[in-house]
Amino acid sequence: MIRSRRIALALLLPGLALLVGGVVAPSLVMLLSPPRVETGEVLDRLGRMLSDPYDLEIVWRTLRVGLVVTAICVLLGFPTAFLLARSRSRWAGPLLALAIFPLLLSNVVRTYGWLVVLGSNGVVGKTLVALGFTDEAPQLLYTELAVVLGLVQLFLPLAIVTCYSAVAQVDAGLDDAARGLGAGRTRTMWSVVIPLSMPGIAMAATLVFAGAVTAYTTPYLLGGSRQRMLSTQLFSYSGVTLDWAAASATAIVMTILVVLVYVASTLATRTRGRIQ
Amino acid sequence: MKRSSPVAASLAVLGYLVMIVPILFVVATAFTEGETLRFPPEGLSLRWFDEATSYQPFTDALLSSLQLALLATVLALAVGIPATLAIMRGRLPGRSLVEGLFLSPLILPELVVGLALFQQLMLQLELDNFQALLIGHTALLLPYAVRVTGASLVLADPALEEAARGLGASPLRTFFTVTLPVLRPGIISAALLSFVTSFNNVPISLLLQSRDFRTLPVTMLDYVQQNYTPIIAAMSTLLLAATVVLAVVAERILGFARIFGGINR
Repeated sequence: MIRSRRIALALLLPGLALLVGGVVAPSLVMLLSPPRVETGEVLDRLGRMLSDPYDLEIVWRTLRVGLVVTAICVLLGFPTAFLLARSRSRWAGPLLALAIFPLLLSNVVRTYGWLVVLGSNGVVGKTLVALGFTDEAPQLLYTELAVVLGLVQLFLPLAIVTCYSAVAQVDAGLDDAARGLGAGRTRTMWSVVIPLSMPGIAMAATLVFAGAVTAYTTPYLLGGSRQRMLSTQLFSYSGVTLDWAAASATAIVMTILVVLVYVASTLATRTRGRIQ
Repeated sequence: MKRSSPVAASLAVLGYLVMIVPILFVVATAFTEGETLRFPPEGLSLRWFDEATSYQPFTDALLSSLQLALLATVLALAVGIPATLAIMRGRLPGRSLVEGLFLSPLILPELVVGLALFQQLMLQLELDNFQALLIGHTALLLPYAVRVTGASLVLADPALEEAARGLGASPLRTFFTVTLPVLRPGIISAALLSFVTSFNNVPISLLLQSRDFRTLPVTMLDYVQQNYTPIIAAMSTLLLAATVVLAVVAERILGFARIFGGINR
């Protein structure tokens, strides 16, 4: 224990200063009253954004992509985590490492792979033409499908790792007990393993959704200007057209989306905890 | 369970394919002899590796990225470890609020933080972009320092520290001889995660770039948009190789799963 409150505060102070001065205060100022923008203009722009069909389409696309990516990541990530956590094979360790490894690798490198796979001279297009399905390679890049694929690749490792620690905490003896009492594999899964891993699954979904609606590299490379998302739109306002009122309005929408999801997931986990 | 369900197994296989296959195609195209990015590659050569390693914007940016990632990691640990001690061992009022503040960079979108720092630090306070980048990256890494070292501090028995103090050791001596050895795995994990996170960051680095100081991922991203040559595939393959080496070292020192176990909890 640190007995003196003064020493504890002194240890905390540099970090506090850095976070307040380097993250929280600048972000609040940027969101509410950016420099060179008159008071009220951000709210005005926000109002116009939420009534303009083009802007609304971007918000809606971002939400849709976020939800689809989250659903796919949980659908693929949870079974993978379950198999890895319950397997006694000597391959389980290396396979878990292989699933974690992409987290260390640059997003640019990971996303670039899809340009090779989906590009006009890419693998998928060439294969479709060679098999005689089409005469000309279909446009796969700069579609919503491309963005979804890229984001799933990006966030699946996160979903697997998060679900893995949740499943690993569920006593495997409970699975066996349910099976011993006559429950089938599917029933054991749905009434024992999944309910007990729910906090981890919720956490995985939250992390993936928050990541997917704020990711920049992947929508930029795979969606381009045809599939604008909030993040690419935010960069185009702040780095290209220097329309800071619009940039702040976009940033507000993005921040609210992410904060809402975190709050909802925290509340959901807490309520569940109280019930159990 | 005795045999794994075929449904679960096929979903897992599909997951691995999506995660790994695009990376394999990057490696395959890096060895092409041709001018454009296509598959199958035309001929086999190392020419794009030569081009990548002698292309000055890449080598400059690589040095910048390494420099920034190292400095930000050291700073984040220097600021984050004392803060972790204060949060976990000090009897502070509003502890959960403080903890929340230290995790806030994980929640706030990085593009938002990047734009905020560009406006407030570079335009209003007229800091140069390296200083702004260092502040932004260090703040971004603080949650890792606090969470990951915090997770190993939970394992440390405070009674040991009390005993050392009772036997006459000063607070500093207690920290260095009793607490720090327990924290070491946490610190190594936090350092590794921080370094990688800073090195790979795009959104903050993108908004705080200048002609004199740009990071490698931002430089590569710009290049991809303008040129369709396999030089990026070669550069990516080199980064992949470096990351594999880092991962193997991490596995040898601590074990992979342990390092990543600390992120979410």
